[in-house]
Amino acid sequence: MLNSIPVLLSPILAELEVGKHLYWELGGMKLHGQVFITTWLVMGALIVVSLFATRKVERIPSGIQNLMEYALEFIRDLAKNQIGEKEYRPWVPYIGTLFLFIFVSNWGGALVPWKLIHLPAGELAAPTNDINTTVALALLTSLAYFYAGFRKRGIGYFAKYIEPTPVMLPINILEDFTKPLSLSFRLFGNILADELVVAVLVLLVPLFVPLPVMLLGLFTSAIQALVFATLSAAYIAEAMEGHGAEEHG
Amino acid sequence: MNWTFLLAEEAGGLFDFDATLPLMAIQFVVFAAVLNAVFYKPLGKALDERNDYVLSAGSTAKERLAQAESLAAQYEQDLAETRRQAQQIVVAAQEEAQKLSAQQMAEAQQMAQAQREQTQKELDAEKQSALSALEKQVSSLSQALLDKLLSVAA
Repeated sequence: MLNSIPVLLSPILAELEVGKHLYWELGGMKLHGQVFITTWLVMGALIVVSLFATRKVERIPSGIQNLMEYALEFIRDLAKNQIGEKEYRPWVPYIGTLFLFIFVSNWGGALVPWKLIHLPAGELAAPTNDINTTVALALLTSLAYFYAGFRKRGIGYFAKYIEPTPVMLPINILEDFTKPLSLSFRLFGNILADELVVAVLVLLVPLFVPLPVMLLGLFTSAIQALVFATLSAAYIAEAMEGHGAEEHG
Repeated sequence: MNWTFLLAEEAGGLFDFDATLPLMAIQFVVFAAVLNAVFYKPLGKALDERNDYVLSAGSTAKERLAQAESLAAQYEQDLAETRRQAQQIVVAAQEEAQKLSAQQMAEAQQMAQAQREQTQKELDAEKQSALSALEKQVSSLSQALLDKLLSVAA
């Protein structure tokens, strides 16, 4: 697939590395080192910013506290719109962390010149352009909405599968597989495609021409973070309500 | 390109699933917990407290405004009441003063009348006495004249 591009066009696109990983060994298991490095950087940055924002909480916010409060209000609104005033509060940390992590990962991948840091294999990029990350997040969302459904409705959650009619049973079961699949591949595909397009353009025309595409990439990255968080919230809300599965497919 | 390549573990590739996936999930949950402690909880508390503060300050201000308005209305009413009373007092005082002045005028007129009558009476009496004295003198003078005439004749 895509990782064959460098092989085919290796004389021209010698620098384009796709599907190469920096392998770490942990107890006989393989890990993608470059993903963990950027993930820790992203998480570290978010934690440091949060610590700065909450170091001296004031009633009239200013500076970084103001910024992070804006982010928190945005996340709260997002969760409230999907889940509803009554139930949204316990889900704010999960949905908010999804949004912040994906958003900072995507923008970090697009804005930080990772290429300047050379690794023995592979290259540093947004953690979200590795399928493992996106599938992990999507599966967590699946777990989250199952948990939400069972906690809210108990064993009656299974009634959801034969709503509105038992004929829908196979489709409803299928949905539990398509949801994480579409979530993970949407994010993975968008971010990887954006990075590839930018990389290819940079190789072809190094100056100025890639800029519009990079701007578009920033826009897409933000949208994808929003979409992932919103859909997760929507799935959780749907699991708690039971009806309305058609709206958020 | 065959699909075994995509699934091959050694070859790497785009769809290279390995232990990164579960570790990433665990790491993300831990990260969410950490962010919950350092971000969502403190800032959420700050937001809620500010909301409460704004709401309570707003309701207090509304209460005070209502209080001030009712006080103003009360004062207005009191003022109107007081004005009416003052008006009444002024009217009553004017009436009384008029009555008093009329009464005093009448009294004074009466007294003046009485004095005038008294004086008239005294004048009349004096005139009477003067007339009678004059008459007496006239009669004595005429007697004396008569006596003189008679003595001459005799």
